[in-house]
Amino acid sequence: MKTWRAGACAALAVACLGFSSVARADAPPSSKQAAVGEAIYRNGVLASGAPLEGQRERGAGLGGGLVTKGADAACVNCHLRSGLGSISNDRRVSIPPVAGQYLFQPRNMKASDHDLPYVENVKADREPYTDATLARAIREGIDSDGKPLGTLMPRFALDDADMSALIAYLKSLDRRKEPGVTDTVLHFATIITPDADPVKRRGMLDVLNRYIADKNAFPFSPTPHLRSSGKGIYSKSLYMANRHWQLHVWELTGPADTWDAQLEDHLAKEPVFAVLSGLGGSNWAPVHAFCEREQLPCLFPNVEVPVVADRDFYTLYFSKGVLLEAGLIAKSIAEPDSGPPVRSVLQVYREGDSGEAAAHALAAAVGRSGIAVRSEAIAAASEPGKGVAQALQKAMKGDALVLWLRPNDIAALGAAPAEAGTVYMSGLMGGLEQAPLPEGWRSHIRMAYPFDLPDARVVRVDFPLGWFSFRHIPVVAEQVQVDTYLACGLLAETLSHSADTFVREYLVERMEELLEHRYLTGYYPRLALAEWQRFASKGGYVVRFADPAGNRLVAAREWTVP
Amino acid sequence: MPAVAQFFRGGRSLAALGATLGMALSPMTPARAVDSGGAYAQHHVQLPDAAGRSIAAYALPRVQLVRADGKRVLLADELNDGRAVVLDFVYTTCTSVCPLSSQTFAALQDKLGIERDRVHLVSISIDPEQDTPDRLQEYARHFDAGPQWQFYTGTAEASLRVQQAFRAYSGDKMSHPPLTLLRVAPGKPWVRFDGFATVDQLLHELQNQVAVQ
Repeated sequence: MKTWRAGACAALAVACLGFSSVARADAPPSSKQAAVGEAIYRNGVLASGAPLEGQRERGAGLGGGLVTKGADAACVNCHLRSGLGSISNDRRVSIPPVAGQYLFQPRNMKASDHDLPYVENVKADREPYTDATLARAIREGIDSDGKPLGTLMPRFALDDADMSALIAYLKSLDRRKEPGVTDTVLHFATIITPDADPVKRRGMLDVLNRYIADKNAFPFSPTPHLRSSGKGIYSKSLYMANRHWQLHVWELTGPADTWDAQLEDHLAKEPVFAVLSGLGGSNWAPVHAFCEREQLPCLFPNVEVPVVADRDFYTLYFSKGVLLEAGLIAKSIAEPDSGPPVRSVLQVYREGDSGEAAAHALAAAVGRSGIAVRSEAIAAASEPGKGVAQALQKAMKGDALVLWLRPNDIAALGAAPAEAGTVYMSGLMGGLEQAPLPEGWRSHIRMAYPFDLPDARVVRVDFPLGWFSFRHIPVVAEQVQVDTYLACGLLAETLSHSADTFVREYLVERMEELLEHRYLTGYYPRLALAEWQRFASKGGYVVRFADPAGNRLVAAREWTVP
Repeated sequence: MPAVAQFFRGGRSLAALGATLGMALSPMTPARAVDSGGAYAQHHVQLPDAAGRSIAAYALPRVQLVRADGKRVLLADELNDGRAVVLDFVYTTCTSVCPLSSQTFAALQDKLGIERDRVHLVSISIDPEQDTPDRLQEYARHFDAGPQWQFYTGTAEASLRVQQAFRAYSGDKMSHPPLTLLRVAPGKPWVRFDGFATVDQLLHELQNQVAVQ
């Protein structure tokens, strides 16, 4: 199923309005006017291709106020992609919703006639806009009651054609019906690629299934009192806030170039509101692209190689995974915590595994500092012992080694090289503190560790571990399982702060905003997002083993954001 | 079921609804918004046209920051170099409040003309992990920041301490209110502007007190 872009029905938007059951899939096709309206709203580009220009009346004396242009002036900056706006903690900065229904909704409707999702920042106490008063608001900053709009709202110079395109776009932002949402059930998917680790897959699914079963076993029932009371104009959109969750597991098969079609097929058969968690191998790009195209939120998949595209919207990641590790190792190589300066680097990875992307990132980062980097790719199919040994034979005196290897390759490293200098390794790929390093290696190891240190996170991780234990969920891949549990909790809490406003873009926007308030953040010291931020945890440690034996880690480099 | 400890710290909804953490567990949370709040009027406190001005004294914490040029500096050293200071808090991915504050700073430095060398414009990141020195430099270029306007980042803890010292911490970066702080010289009190200070307001304050011509 191809979903339509929110802006796609602008030309016929007036016709769409009023059909509250219009789902994305049934919307009229795109049109030139729709594209113009969307370009103004999202990118600050007028039909002529010229930049949108806005002026705030403040700062007079400067030759006419503060001018804002192009992307900086785009409506989306404040009113957000959903068109639902936002309100600050202290409520002093309130950016009202501009999705058409909120602007044009008649006053004094009976409560039962309202089917608008509730948002806190709605202005319910003013005249409904008309096209003419809305144009006046946008051009002159005067609202429908004739009062001036807030300081933040610029006055925009738009000609009549651009203005009607923009207004049509606002009307097209219908926020009343999303796929995957019924009166009683919220549908979610989780996506697993065929190259995902089977042990992690089992561990993740155990957590997801149990979390949802628990949630559904103890539902917050709709409150009959509120349903019948009709108190407040949004009561209709509030009473059913606690729906059952239903999880659809989308397991992909075959080569990566067939995944997109498989995903389309899944989505057509099982429309979902969002993708929750998920598990990838070395290639998540097709899934990322699919979610972006289908405008489907994908919340915190377990992915080692995420797609770095901060201007994309729909996929949120916990971290940059091995790409973050490459940044940490590069920093550590440039500024070693001990020993002489590093002059050359040999890195080893398996073809086709996550280390390949990481090795490219490391070569690029280290290359900039003038240190020579050589990369050895081990054939994907070769035996652990043999392939690694051959690669390590290429090491020269003074090389810093970087190992992008899995536990089976690490276990087969053999004896530590006699003249080994510092050996960097990927914690994510190698198994973190459980990495099965053979004797002699441990004292050389500097491990990229894109998480909080074990001692520091113990309280935050204790809670999910207790939850697993109480429910007899075997801990087979602790970090993935704790991250999965965290993703579930973040979704549940964000929805609990979103009333009944099931709008995909709003879900992402609320997550961006609320994430920073979370204090049980599992493996991560803190999480935060914002518009144009898609990686919630930004930094990591480089650690070493405290003792010749055992798993105790200490930081070799303070928390670093590369 | 999840313990109370699981829930978000504060959060705008919680704050807005006057809810306790425990109440956040309740399915009634959204309902309270409606039942208690027939008062939509309160949702739209208009920011005053000119920012509210007040005088305040702050103890500068001993905090190390990282300037956009990568240099580690002490906050106090940066603020106490003898120049007047105009300070705000920003983050580079902010799309609503900060761009207007930064535009105001940009216009202020233009309007100060040659006197700008006697003023130090200070923008401190409230999203320091995202706002690396490189990103701050890019942001500075976007607003044509001259050498008298400098940007600072640092650890999350350092940024938090500075925000707290200036009573500027609002719980999360995305809902930080517009705030500008001005001090004409070390040892003088701070002038605090809550809301969007205008270029003229800041200029007037500087001119009155340091006779910037």
